[in-house]
Amino acid sequence: MIQTIRMGHVLREAVAAPYRNLVTRPTGAAVRTRIEATMAHSNCLTALLDFSEIELVDLSCADEVVAKLLLTVRTTYFVVLQGLREDHHEAIDHVLTHHHLAVASVPPGCRAPRLLGWVQADAREAFTRISEVGPLDVSGLARILVWPEARSREALEDLTLHRLVRPVGEFYYPLPIA
Amino acid sequence: MTRVIEVPTHFDDRSFDTFAAGFGEWPPAEKVLIDARGTQWASPYGLIGILTAGQALAEAKREKPLLTVPTNDEVKRYWARAGFFRQAADLFELHGKVPRSGATGPSDVLLDVTPVRASEDVHGVVHKISEGASRILHGELGLEMKATLRFSMALSEACQNIVEHAGTSGWVAVQAYTFRRRLGRRVVVIAVSDAGVGFRRSLESTHAKRFGERWGDGAALEAALIQGVSRFRDPGRGQGLAFIKRFLDQWEGKISIRSGTARLSIVPPWDEDIPLSDHLPSFPGAQVQIIIPAQDPKSR
Repeated sequence: MIQTIRMGHVLREAVAAPYRNLVTRPTGAAVRTRIEATMAHSNCLTALLDFSEIELVDLSCADEVVAKLLLTVRTTYFVVLQGLREDHHEAIDHVLTHHHLAVASVPPGCRAPRLLGWVQADAREAFTRISEVGPLDVSGLARILVWPEARSREALEDLTLHRLVRPVGEFYYPLPIA
Repeated sequence: MTRVIEVPTHFDDRSFDTFAAGFGEWPPAEKVLIDARGTQWASPYGLIGILTAGQALAEAKREKPLLTVPTNDEVKRYWARAGFFRQAADLFELHGKVPRSGATGPSDVLLDVTPVRASEDVHGVVHKISEGASRILHGELGLEMKATLRFSMALSEACQNIVEHAGTSGWVAVQAYTFRRRLGRRVVVIAVSDAGVGFRRSLESTHAKRFGERWGDGAALEAALIQGVSRFRDPGRGQGLAFIKRFLDQWEGKISIRSGTARLSIVPPWDEDIPLSDHLPSFPGAQVQIIIPAQDPKSR
């Protein structure tokens, strides 16, 4: 089950004004608090943060909303971003790389997610393959990428640690996006 | 006794030190008269520098300073259009005739001289700038469309530095003009200034120790702009200036920060500024200037 959170709506509630720009740390902190409260009251394990109504995301807000949210909820929830434009990517990628964090983002009109932030190159490759072909186990990924199983296992463990795949039994599933 | 401080004829970041030197030790003991009668031109950096001086005097509980306005009508009208007199009226006893109205229609003033007191003001600034910024940056300066959003981000981060670090309020202004002498091209200039504690005092408790005897205004600016440190222990802090530097590098832009007695600049190839100037005349708070030049037509 997925909980979609419209960032434009949360922003308007947080600042009590019709702005479409996610700027400043206090605004970011207020928005993050509301997201955390929404997630805490939901039965869904995946939160889809929809940025499509957002005009600008500055670094401070990207840090407060996305990076700190990932640091807070990553032991419990999966987080996916959608509706981000290219310039949003830039700010979010910058802050997540700084923290050695990563998140999946679904570009507008696209079903294949991309990774923003920092993961090892092998984990990035594994993420792309799982997003393309669906759930894979260690040996399945090793076969597709012509890797030794140890390398495949390490990449999948890395993705699991970053909450970028869902491990179920022996298999690693892509995050649900719809 | 009144201390008379003359505003330079051409008042910008380069002549700012002459203006700052006029105050002597901060805060000056005497009543202050800022004399702008002979001023022929002032950059946004110069305009908000005057306001910062007025604010610092008010916060030091000094007598309200006097300001004689420029005698040149065109200069006065430009200052009025930039919203300078509207803000100055609260801080100075104005002498001389001040034009009443601002400009109508499209203007080179992208953002009036605007006070920044709290985070809400930053929202207002970013909201206000978005339309005009695209017209100037993309239309006139030939920057890619996404430059507008990077520009707004830079503006937002620069203004937030006031709210987060200065310990008092400040000012921001954005204008486009032709940089004849140094570059021969159109530029957009963001100027941000506050009368707060400055970089050295802001960073002192967390970073002075590792600099040892080198610690001072210049070292504090280096720590903030080059090393990306912040007074907060939060590891997410200090990224704003690093990001601004990165995109200015792509556009051959310039950032310079003056605080206390030092000024640090990231100098692009078209400029001959000194990267670090130390032992300058003391001035309160911090003054930031970001210059984004029109792109070379050949590279568009």
